[in-house]
Amino acid sequence: MKKANFIVSGAFAAFAIVIIAISMGYPPSNHGVPGPGMFPILIASLILVSSLTLALLTLRMPKEKDTEIDLKSKNVLNVYITMAGLIVYIVLLPMIGFIVTTSIMLVLYLKWFGKRPWWKCILISLIFTIAIFLLFGSVLNVPMRFGLLI
Amino acid sequence: MLLEVLNSVFNVQITLFIILGVFTGICIGSLPGLTATMGVALVLPLTFGLDAIPGILLLIGVYVGAIYGGSISAILLRTPGTPAAAATVLDGFEFSKRGESGRALGISTVSSFLGGVVSVLALWLISPQLAKLALRFSAPEFFLLAVFGLSIIASISGNSLAKGVLCGALGISLSFIGIDSITGYPRFTFNNINLLSGMSFIPVMIGLFAMSQAFSTVEKIFTPDQITQKISKVWPTRSDWKVILKHAPLSGVIGTIIGIVPGAGAEIGAFVSYGQAKRMSKHPELFGTGIPEGIAAPEGGNNGVTGGALIPMLTMGVPGDAVAAILIGALTVQGLQPGPLLFTEHTTLVYSIFLGMFVANVTMLVLGLSSLKLFVKVLSVPKAILTPMIFILCVVGSYAINTNFFDVGIMLFFGILGYFLQKADVSVSPAVLGLILGPMAESNFRRALLMSEGTYSIFFASPIAWVFVVLTLITLLGPVVGDALKKKRIA
Repeated sequence: MKKANFIVSGAFAAFAIVIIAISMGYPPSNHGVPGPGMFPILIASLILVSSLTLALLTLRMPKEKDTEIDLKSKNVLNVYITMAGLIVYIVLLPMIGFIVTTSIMLVLYLKWFGKRPWWKCILISLIFTIAIFLLFGSVLNVPMRFGLLI
Repeated sequence: MLLEVLNSVFNVQITLFIILGVFTGICIGSLPGLTATMGVALVLPLTFGLDAIPGILLLIGVYVGAIYGGSISAILLRTPGTPAAAATVLDGFEFSKRGESGRALGISTVSSFLGGVVSVLALWLISPQLAKLALRFSAPEFFLLAVFGLSIIASISGNSLAKGVLCGALGISLSFIGIDSITGYPRFTFNNINLLSGMSFIPVMIGLFAMSQAFSTVEKIFTPDQITQKISKVWPTRSDWKVILKHAPLSGVIGTIIGIVPGAGAEIGAFVSYGQAKRMSKHPELFGTGIPEGIAAPEGGNNGVTGGALIPMLTMGVPGDAVAAILIGALTVQGLQPGPLLFTEHTTLVYSIFLGMFVANVTMLVLGLSSLKLFVKVLSVPKAILTPMIFILCVVGSYAINTNFFDVGIMLFFGILGYFLQKADVSVSPAVLGLILGPMAESNFRRALLMSEGTYSIFFASPIAWVFVVLTLITLLGPVVGDALKKKRIA
């Protein structure tokens, strides 16, 4: 947990510094009414103070309270692969089309997670994809036709 | 008006939406890993094409159903279906060990119903009065109200104050993106046209609450699903009824009060009610061994939160918990602004929500007592099939709001961020509340200064303003002073 706390406080502090740097360039207050940069600077300062507090508290945290955070085990690696797969999916989705991309993506995840026979995965994914396509496209009138294919 | 309200709730279409909502809610709630917030976020896109009343009532149905549904897996599997049912596990699973899971589920169903009804009554009685008071608010009061809300969120959410503040401030920072409402100046848009109108609120919610939760499920995707046992005899016995009637309504009141406090959700409502029942009891040592009080109190308490959370949301636009924050999003999509004006301009809608929520609670009772076997079957849907489907619902849902793929990217970004924040023990709810309360604080602060031509005394000009100032000070300094006193006493 110690390491994670330091990463959290470091990342938030960097985020706050970026906000302050950008907000400095915004128009100043006008007749006592704060300009667009004032609130961002205020909140970013609050983030800086809280990050520092978190870092200091973590430094003083007794060793026995320190718990290990799992970021590298096989189970967590599966999550990273899932995330990567979804990034590829949402990049391809608008280019190729909903039904083709979604059903292929679904088959792959179903096969990987559930180890069911291929035909079952394909059947489940086709039914689900077409149901969602019809629900959103026809019932809820969301334009679902995009990309090269369908 | 009464006729209009009755008409708008008791017509076939709307009643069906409520039943559908509660049914979906119970299924979602009973599945471990799917929370009430996630359920409401996933169903939300389906309401874009509906009118305001059926849309909101569908979501409220899901909310009410899911908070109750969590108890099913808490009792049968020793795994709370939603965090709100965590307190129910303590006694609920002991019943199952003795083979009395049907009895436990019956107690939980009736207690949830009573807790829910108490909270709807409170919503009905308190909201109009509070809205009347809030009509007198102007910019300075709304600013101070938002600050008060933010201070509570920071102080009660999660284990660490610093992390709560960080996450809340992250939400506020997101609200800066887009054209500044007072001066029209574009902020943090990085010349990206998609960011000019601001960060889309709903994709952020779907990412933080649904997608990140699905990622956490992937971690355990290869562990085998638990097998459930058969249930019988759900209707409570006479002695159980006595316990239920003694504890559930009181827990409903406790839950309602906790629901009103911004940032405190159903899980806190359940634990506080459980603790209260234990303190009141003549035999506190029996809690945790499987006694009816141990189910009636937390289940009455968590469903009590549902109505309470809507009170500040409807009357002042301040969400009582994360689900209420999503409901604000749902109302905004319909072109409605939650706040005191809702009560004068859309009276039928407001009273339809009250009545519809009551109907949702009755539906929950009927479904719970009649179809528990069906819901237990839902528990056997493998997460290996469910999780990839949730991915797709998240993607399509965040696309549907503006039919824009940029929003899908936002959703996935916040899904990944939310997953890592959970790992680092940072609760994500404050971010969403910050995203709503941040703009409320900022625009009212600047509007107040425009009104007063830059004089800060406007923030202390009315008694209501002073009430908020004092409340904020108590919230922020209370824990610090309390700690100091404790240390002094020990020394």
